[in-house]
Amino acid sequence: MNSLHVATSVADAIAALADRGDAGAPLAGATWIMRAPIRKEPHYRSYVALAKIEELQQVELLDDRLSIGACVTHAQLAAVIAPLPEFHALAAAAGSSANPAIRQMATIGGNLCAAGFAAADLVPALICLAAQVELAMPGESMRVSIGTFLTMRTNLPPGCLVRRVMVPRTTCRSDHVRLTLRKAGDYPVVIVSLAAELSPAGVVKSARVAIGSVEAVARRWEKLERLLIGHPLDPGDVTEKAALCAEEMQGREGVEAPGWYRIKVLPSLVGRAARNIQGQC
Amino acid sequence: MPLHLTVNDEDRVSMRDPLTPLVDVLRDEFFLTGAKVVCREGFCGACTVWVNGRSVASCLLPVGLAADCKIHTVESLSTGGNLSPLQKAFEDHDAVQCGMCFPGMLMTLTSFLEREPRATREEIKAALVGNVCRCTGYERIVDAAFSLVSAE
Repeated sequence: MNSLHVATSVADAIAALADRGDAGAPLAGATWIMRAPIRKEPHYRSYVALAKIEELQQVELLDDRLSIGACVTHAQLAAVIAPLPEFHALAAAAGSSANPAIRQMATIGGNLCAAGFAAADLVPALICLAAQVELAMPGESMRVSIGTFLTMRTNLPPGCLVRRVMVPRTTCRSDHVRLTLRKAGDYPVVIVSLAAELSPAGVVKSARVAIGSVEAVARRWEKLERLLIGHPLDPGDVTEKAALCAEEMQGREGVEAPGWYRIKVLPSLVGRAARNIQGQC
Repeated sequence: MPLHLTVNDEDRVSMRDPLTPLVDVLRDEFFLTGAKVVCREGFCGACTVWVNGRSVASCLLPVGLAADCKIHTVESLSTGGNLSPLQKAFEDHDAVQCGMCFPGMLMTLTSFLEREPRATREEIKAALVGNVCRCTGYERIVDAAFSLVSAE
């Protein structure tokens, strides 16, 4: 029988995880971990549930950032930030992922920590919005960029957990587009999250492009970002530039789509994101 | 360790492994077989129940996380032998065929229509994206739900 410790505070969770060492793992919304048997992955012997920790369920809008507790669900996040245009990409990601029942369960922390889930919607959205991840562990806490977190998430020491995600407030406009094989309710084969700061004349001053589901891990597309800066955010032009850079992508093979297909459709989705951002102006 | 749950307003206790999917406890231990086990991946919606008022996929919820929560299954919708308005609409629109999907559809749509009593057809369809039906083609289910909106 597995054991489940339902933690009542972050300190309690850290202590319980440290105590269990390599035999234990945190459990947030559980939607990924409960499917481990389908992926033929063993469960841990012991889990520490984070879902009842009140602090981890808070969303706070501060002067300089949005602070999102690790156990905030997709549905909760989408509802809270929907009226805030500066976080449009994140609201769109949280409000369109999976299906309504899963959005009521799956959490932002779980989405970030599910290293084997290439189609996680929140990850590219958070990359394009330059989010930071706060980790809590025995005796200390640390804050890392989301890019750094993605490289270290499979090697977190026992007793370490994601406490909150912080998204800086900016004047960027952003959008999140996804291609699913069904019209809705499916995991996307390609995700594009785009944030851009535009001059009054519509010229791109800065840009962050994040791609999800194409490769095994979501990442920034810096080569394309450099090509966008200094030019109007014209959807056709953006699509052409994305096509020029697409050869650097390593398309992920999957039962739902082959790697070449993901790369083939990627430029069109980048162009669609650009068009949507133009529509916000 | 005993897990205490409130299911359809009744106190229940389960001794199952805390990682057991809630749907298995509901069906195998409490004999509430309205929620169906179909995909076990959260895609099909046949196992949808309410946990603290939220529609969730009970195949992906460990029973240990449901402890001390208020759970409602499709068996709770009718009262005193009377169908709920949506159940009646399903019957009136001949929306039920094989019977695998509609308990989940009822749970999803009942809570959705409580939140969105003036929903459009498109919004009803969007609410149903996590409930798969292989028989009906959905239109009669959407017709049934929309009939309640139209009647408002």
